[in-house]
Amino acid sequence: MTNFSLLDGGIVGVYLLVTMIAGVMVRKYVGKVEDFLVAGREMNVYLGIASLAATEFGIVTCMYTAQNGFEKGFAGAIPGVLTFIAMYLVGYTGFCVKPLRDSGVMTIPELFEQKFGTRVRWASGVVIVLGGLLNMGVFLRTGGDFLVHVSGLDPSYLEIMMTALLVGVAVYTILGGMLSVLVTDYLQFIVMSLGLIVVTFLILDRVGWSTLVNTVQTNYGEGGFNPLKNASMGWSYVIFNALLNTAAVLTWQTQIARVLAAKDSATGRKVYTGTSFFFVARFLIPGIWGIAALALLTPEQIGGDTLLAMPKMLSIVVPAGLMGLLVASMLAADMSTDSSYMLTWGSVIYNDIMAPFRKAPWPEKKGLFWNRTIIAIIGVFLLIYGLWYKLEGDLWTYLGITGSIYLSSMSVLLIACCYWKRANSWGAAAAIVCGAAIPALTLVLQKVGPYTEWFTQNGTVCGIATYVIVALSMVIGSLLKPKS
Amino acid sequence: MINGISNMLTNHWFWGALTIACLAWYSTITIYVAIKGAGDIREMLRKLARGKHGEA
Repeated sequence: MTNFSLLDGGIVGVYLLVTMIAGVMVRKYVGKVEDFLVAGREMNVYLGIASLAATEFGIVTCMYTAQNGFEKGFAGAIPGVLTFIAMYLVGYTGFCVKPLRDSGVMTIPELFEQKFGTRVRWASGVVIVLGGLLNMGVFLRTGGDFLVHVSGLDPSYLEIMMTALLVGVAVYTILGGMLSVLVTDYLQFIVMSLGLIVVTFLILDRVGWSTLVNTVQTNYGEGGFNPLKNASMGWSYVIFNALLNTAAVLTWQTQIARVLAAKDSATGRKVYTGTSFFFVARFLIPGIWGIAALALLTPEQIGGDTLLAMPKMLSIVVPAGLMGLLVASMLAADMSTDSSYMLTWGSVIYNDIMAPFRKAPWPEKKGLFWNRTIIAIIGVFLLIYGLWYKLEGDLWTYLGITGSIYLSSMSVLLIACCYWKRANSWGAAAAIVCGAAIPALTLVLQKVGPYTEWFTQNGTVCGIATYVIVALSMVIGSLLKPKS
Repeated sequence: MINGISNMLTNHWFWGALTIACLAWYSTITIYVAIKGAGDIREMLRKLARGKHGEA
């Protein structure tokens, strides 16, 4: 039984209608592929902050960060603090993002072509899309789980709801590309932020800070506040997350797309510094919701799945009226993430993977047609993969490993491309192969073979090993290639 | 309210202060971005429309 009422349904309906209309209306401004993929490079700072924050906070984010809070206490918010530091420093110094934006490319692999050649560009595109789509594959089911539990819908409607949500998002993304993404992100940022802030104040008022702190102390002791003293975290968790989040800030397609869509590199850097502290909120706010679930729910109410503890808690705590705002804000969070992810992975498929098929430049109409078709195909893939994939282990580790499939190699390639003259195609190829093979192998070994338990429990150690091996591959491969 | 903030700053002050900073920063930036972002959208669409007409 939840507090989702007719009034709440009305709030959600109005939100969906306004977003869809806004998303579809801007399609008339799309005349070229550049408009579609990077909004004609006309994005300014505040729109960039709204868009980056909205994109990087989806229901899936809310679920895994709340799960972190539930299972690790306040210490579970450490990845957010690490991302904040990394993004602020990258924005402040312009490390990699300045040369990337100044080069005028639309995707990272396009930059790689200038230093490493066309094959590396193509292979980078394949790795980026493979890692990105595997990562995004769990978004729909997780989002559906949240909405079903919060609103009290029959779980048998989950697939229908997921499909309807994705179709709605796909319609405006296909029509308006990055322009629709930016405009809807702006609306979604406001609705999402309002919901997050109001519900957090409500939880702090209802549960109280002392109860939250005592709950963490009782369940996890000092490890609930200090990641280095937490049995499930420790140095390997912190180091892996520092590497992962720095790599994401440098190369994660949805984040870097904002730098590439910015008016200039200075604007792109301001978007990064201006959004950086949001990443603390991105982990801490849902983390507090997760801790509140730990404080308020009995083990019977939680059941076996800690991922669902937070939505179950919200369904009890949040009153009618506010429930509509909460569901609308979470829908906003999810829609902004889905649209941006579909567009940015699609942009790599078109710009880099399909590059060998474009011997001569395509007419703009043909380019737009293919971009739109690719987004539609990604949508279909997500529905299929999102429906049957069963997640093992905790969500954040899964996302980290699948993300590492490309983050490790692409971050090493980008740094080498921008700052190491000796870097060449041999080093790049070695880094790509190792960066894709190790995380993929880890995923396989978590499911089959004699050491499934070890690989499931030591995902972060495997993650660190990936980054180290990839960096070494770049150095050794580059040094081995004879100078021409 | 003041008692609550004081409690957050004394009972595990690091996480208490970080939570207060998050909520204060997030509330402020939401209002600021809501106002300034609307201007950014208007400017972006105006420039894109001008570009399209220029090409035509």
